[in-house]
Amino acid sequence: MLEYIISKYNFWVYVILLLIGLYAMVGKKNLVKKLIGMNIFQSAVILFYVSIGVKTGGATVPIFMGDAHAAHGHGRAIIDVASYINPLPHVLMLTAIVVSIATTGVALAVLILIFRRYKTLELDEIMKIRKDTGV
Amino acid sequence: MKVIAILIIVLTGGLLIYGIEDMPDWGDPNSPANSHVSPKYIQESLEKTATPNIVTAVLADYRGYDTMGETTVIFTAGMGCILMLRKKRKGEGD
Amino acid sequence: MATHFPALLIVIPLISALFVPVIGWWKKGLCYPLVVAVLVVPLISALGILNRVIESGPFSYYLGGWAPPWGIEYALDYLNGFVLVIITAISLIVSIYSKKSVEKEMPEKVVPFYTLFLLLVTGLLGIVVTGDLFNVFVFLEIASLSCYALMAIGRDGAPLATYRYIMMGTVGASFYLLGVGYLYIVTGSLNMANVSELLPSLYDSKVVLTAGIFMIVGIGLKMALYPLHAWAPNAYADAPSAVSGLVAPLMTKVAAYMMIRVMFTVFKPVFFIELTPVTTILTWLAAVAIILGSIYAIAQTDLKKMLCYSVVAQIGYIALGIGLANKSGLTGAVLHILNEAFTKGCVFLVAGAIVYKMGACNINEFKDLYRKMPFTMSAFLIGAFSMVGIPPTCGFFSKIYLIMGAITAEKWVFVVVLLFSSILNVIYFFRVIQIATFETPMPDYGRDKPYDPVYMDEVPLSMLIPIQVMAAGILLSGIFSSKIISTVIQFVIPVDF
Repeated sequence: MLEYIISKYNFWVYVILLLIGLYAMVGKKNLVKKLIGMNIFQSAVILFYVSIGVKTGGATVPIFMGDAHAAHGHGRAIIDVASYINPLPHVLMLTAIVVSIATTGVALAVLILIFRRYKTLELDEIMKIRKDTGV
Repeated sequence: MKVIAILIIVLTGGLLIYGIEDMPDWGDPNSPANSHVSPKYIQESLEKTATPNIVTAVLADYRGYDTMGETTVIFTAGMGCILMLRKKRKGEGD
Repeated sequence: MATHFPALLIVIPLISALFVPVIGWWKKGLCYPLVVAVLVVPLISALGILNRVIESGPFSYYLGGWAPPWGIEYALDYLNGFVLVIITAISLIVSIYSKKSVEKEMPEKVVPFYTLFLLLVTGLLGIVVTGDLFNVFVFLEIASLSCYALMAIGRDGAPLATYRYIMMGTVGASFYLLGVGYLYIVTGSLNMANVSELLPSLYDSKVVLTAGIFMIVGIGLKMALYPLHAWAPNAYADAPSAVSGLVAPLMTKVAAYMMIRVMFTVFKPVFFIELTPVTTILTWLAAVAIILGSIYAIAQTDLKKMLCYSVVAQIGYIALGIGLANKSGLTGAVLHILNEAFTKGCVFLVAGAIVYKMGACNINEFKDLYRKMPFTMSAFLIGAFSMVGIPPTCGFFSKIYLIMGAITAEKWVFVVVLLFSSILNVIYFFRVIQIATFETPMPDYGRDKPYDPVYMDEVPLSMLIPIQVMAAGILLSGIFSSKIISTVIQFVIPVDF
């Protein structure tokens, strides 16, 4: 059982983060706390993807340093696949991070519109104002 | 609301923990993710794209279309903020 | 040129969306003609693509020349071409309609509005045309972000409804991304065709089951499937008229397209039907959606909110067709996507026209509307016929196919649900028509004095013509529905049904 947790502990970490983020999005009443929960939730998904690409056994980042000019155009140098980690999840997550930031930006702009209208950012007070004024 | 939140957490958490069991171990170099598509990226990207950084080669060349989509996302978010927040110059806006 | 139609479909609206701010802030009046002219090109491309698919079968287009699965691929087949034509036609019609409505509701925000309009159309087209799982996520976010921004500038309750939509929509997209990640862990590829070849040997893996469930739940959140529909009524009701006319017919139906793709192309149908009870659960949730959506719609007094609950009920029809998973059921679901696009477009544009003339759309104030706006209300009548399912509108044919699908699967409960919901649809639509046609405001003076003559006070022509085109579309797609099914839809069904 302990070995099961240790050999896959990256997945346990991301599961816990995802549940924290999801609880904040659904269970908190302040609108800004919901937004922070959304950020935690998306960060958990990003961490999950990045942890897929790791290779144990001394693999390094996927950048060719030094011997790049030797291999460039002058025949093929032997490139050992197992010494560079998988680049594809990193590529996907660059896009996902940008998407997460853009969504946070738009959500904050909507929060400004809500604040201008209701002068508060707590969900139960907003519901009370809506019920009182019949909007 | 807290009850619904706890219920969602329990369901999602149960599903996620159920799914952990069959995953490949962390860092396994022979997992399907590391041995189907990506070896060709590592081996051929230097001679086909002449870029030492493989992530840049994939991002800008093999999957450049996704990068175009990502820049469009930033543009959309900027335009959305302009649409929502810009006030009229004179008098009050809203 | 014709071989590059798939790329032109996305690139032309995208580049024009970058030009609209430049031209618009120089001269505001040029935005609208530019947008209408630009949206003709995707319509021609989509018709060209559908034509080529009908003549020579499905084809693919490699972006940048890299072969899949190392590059991104567009995989165009019958389902793709069909939905593309629907999206481009509806967006062109709504863009012609939008001029007067935007000028009245938000005159100082015309330039960003049209930019985001074009970006929304780009995002929706990009979701449908691509054959790569991660690319769907990127374009889904483009469409969603422009949708959030466009909806937040509506009437009173719009910002709060939009915030709730942002929360639930982001959870949906992130669940979809998580499902794609799980599929990537076990297969190593992101291309739809490649994954569907590698998956059948892995069907008993728990990771694949989790991936399937997360993708379905994520798409269900975007599709407003019961019980994940809570954002839909408020968000669509409070949005500006042109926005709800574009988003309500299209956004949820594109999510339904995604569900058909995931369930029947990426995972083979046998996975969801026999190995897991997903289709059974889907049909039961759809039945609840149909009944509850119709009951809530009866209880509304605001026209737009009533139509939004009707959207939730109609998504229940499509989900029922997908979940029944036999030939007639799936035919009915795909035909219902076409029907829904035109019908909801027509009735939401009518609601926008009523808001343009009267400022609000409370049903109890619709008295004598039929004499003031006869053309608009006759288009609404055709839309109501299609919703209930009266021939020769398209709604009749799609309901017949759904009922036949339920009979073939021998699930009599769903036959009863479908018939009962038609009665509920009659109640809430004909109540509106009754108030508009037969009730006239009570005069203040005695009975023998004639009523004041009511003059016809129609909306301007640029709003009237798109409404009539939509109504004509409902009738034409009903009359030609058997031809549509025999040329396009019957090839959408997977072979083992």
